[in-house]
Amino acid sequence: MSARDLSCALALLLGIAAGPATASDEDALTLADLPAAPPEQASDWRIALEGAGGRASQRIGQPRVDGHRLSLDVAYDSNFAPGWRAVFASRLDWRWQTQDPRESKVNTLKEAYLSHQLNPTAIVDAGRINVRNGVGTGFNPTDFFRDGAVRSLISPNPSSLRNNRLGSVMLRAQTLWIDGSLTGIYSPELKDTRNDAPFNADLGATNHEHRLLLSLSQRLTPAINPQFLLYKTESLPLQAGANLTMLLGNATVAYVEWAGGRSASLRAQALGGMDDTAYVQRASTGLTYTGPAKTSLTVEYQHNGAGLSKHDWNALQAGPSDRYIRYRLLAQSRQDPPTKAAWFLYGSWQDAWISQLDLSAFVRHNMADRSRMVWVEARYHRGRYDFAFQWQHNLGRAGSEYGALPQKSSWQLIVSRFF
Amino acid sequence: MAAPTVSIAAPNAQEIVAASDAVRNPSKPFSLTTTLIEYRNGKEVSSSTVASYAKADKDSGKYLNLVRFVAPARDADKLMLKAGNDLWFYDPASKASVRVSPQQRLLGQAANGDIVTVNLAKDYKAELAGQEEVQDGEREKRQAHKLLLAASAEDVTYHRIELWVDAANSRPIKARFFADSGRLLKTAYYRRFQPQLGTERPTETVIIDGLDPGWVTIMRYTDYAFRDVPDAWMQRDYLPRFKPG
Repeated sequence: MSARDLSCALALLLGIAAGPATASDEDALTLADLPAAPPEQASDWRIALEGAGGRASQRIGQPRVDGHRLSLDVAYDSNFAPGWRAVFASRLDWRWQTQDPRESKVNTLKEAYLSHQLNPTAIVDAGRINVRNGVGTGFNPTDFFRDGAVRSLISPNPSSLRNNRLGSVMLRAQTLWIDGSLTGIYSPELKDTRNDAPFNADLGATNHEHRLLLSLSQRLTPAINPQFLLYKTESLPLQAGANLTMLLGNATVAYVEWAGGRSASLRAQALGGMDDTAYVQRASTGLTYTGPAKTSLTVEYQHNGAGLSKHDWNALQAGPSDRYIRYRLLAQSRQDPPTKAAWFLYGSWQDAWISQLDLSAFVRHNMADRSRMVWVEARYHRGRYDFAFQWQHNLGRAGSEYGALPQKSSWQLIVSRFF
Repeated sequence: MAAPTVSIAAPNAQEIVAASDAVRNPSKPFSLTTTLIEYRNGKEVSSSTVASYAKADKDSGKYLNLVRFVAPARDADKLMLKAGNDLWFYDPASKASVRVSPQQRLLGQAANGDIVTVNLAKDYKAELAGQEEVQDGEREKRQAHKLLLAASAEDVTYHRIELWVDAANSRPIKARFFADSGRLLKTAYYRRFQPQLGTERPTETVIIDGLDPGWVTIMRYTDYAFRDVPDAWMQRDYLPRFKPG
């Protein structure tokens, strides 16, 4: 007889199931009578081991590619002395596939810094820090430190792009008051060029010029808490940015993220030629609606004033391929849309059909060439394990944003173990 | 000769709720660990642990809550900041603080409002419906005040609540939570009262779903401690830095 059965029998014998509590209430209370395990304790370590295997169908004429990946993600965060904190985060991705390069290793040193709390409202940090600003979901114009930060692409899912990237080496100071804060960052130039060696810190990817960032947050009302940013680099005039979110009723969050300043177009930066420096704006605005049964849907409009117009995008596709490739590589490194306007749709459903099964999907839609990327994931949580299936499909004519990607569609199975 | 008249003041409903709040919530800023175990048809389907830091706002008396996820490991160190309807979720992996709507559920069956500290007397207008004998979470019969609570603030999780408070000691015994439509959302039993921070407080809440009685969440409270958090830490921009020692 189980402990539960024993409890039920005892309850019946003692006649205590009678009374205002219903039979279902009694069942619930009996469950609660079971012995409780001691509560879990917080740890300074977060470690995840992930194995993945999948297949990608290439464009016409290319063989399919089978691949496997083993990844180790380690994060350590500790208050090692009063007022002092050490943070370290790194990820190793080890890949094997049926085309060259057959085997590759990439380590991403995400963070390694020390933090000192001078008093409860003043903190300084030094080291490699992953600073991320922006309230947008699929495009973050005010995430100024995103440039060159992705060293190993795990998934096109925006949350994966944010999780798996390099921080920048910087000195950061922050002061807080009751309803706001001011942060100043200086990120120095340390290396000119990237280094693809597997275990290189790749400082050239993130610290290839001197950069300054100031950000101010101030709560204006309980519901309105904007953030304003000023960003300056050696190669760019002063850029401004702003982030604002608002609650519309109980179920909808509206957001707008904006950055603007004088700069050359992406094309001029990638291909050279005539200096076309002008006032350029980037923006990302949308709504996230929380529906019944743990569903949510985000609709986002993305604008990149430095990207190409439909006419210029068509012209670039019709021109020499090396120019097209240089342009695409720069846009990808900057995490900027290549053209001026795009839509992004993201949906998720927690505990879909059964408990612990999460479904999520997104569509990216380029408005200039009507190409699309569709990505779907089913993820099941079981104890310390996650089991996931991901499927991605790129649609569009040759040369379009998504039609030009070498993989037409792909899927992968993933098993993760959290320690 | 006329019989002497004795005037007994009827218990004030709002004061009963406030006294019951005082049993659940310490009077000074505090922290505690909550373990949530979710059952479906008698089978455990998930378990999570959070550490919560709560302090009452000086002006409104409403609680500001900072919740840190401890387990499962995949969610460790994620944070939720709740000040009324202002709700932020922080993920240490992406360094992103995302505003979420009050409807968004971050932890299984439990609504965000269930895992944070709430003073019902501040958010609801109470009416005394009468005295009732009710069975508590330990299967004991108790004489209780039955109270009907109607939301008086917009930033509440439940539109209407029926609350039974022990007439002898102001302990909350049981509550039924209703949606705007009148549908029963869940029933909660407060039980396992133990001395914590100066008085006997419930260390367990049993939540039963209104539609599916086989869906049960047990919330266990441990590690009660008085703990003040500076006001300046209860904001979005401090979330990436929140690391209790």
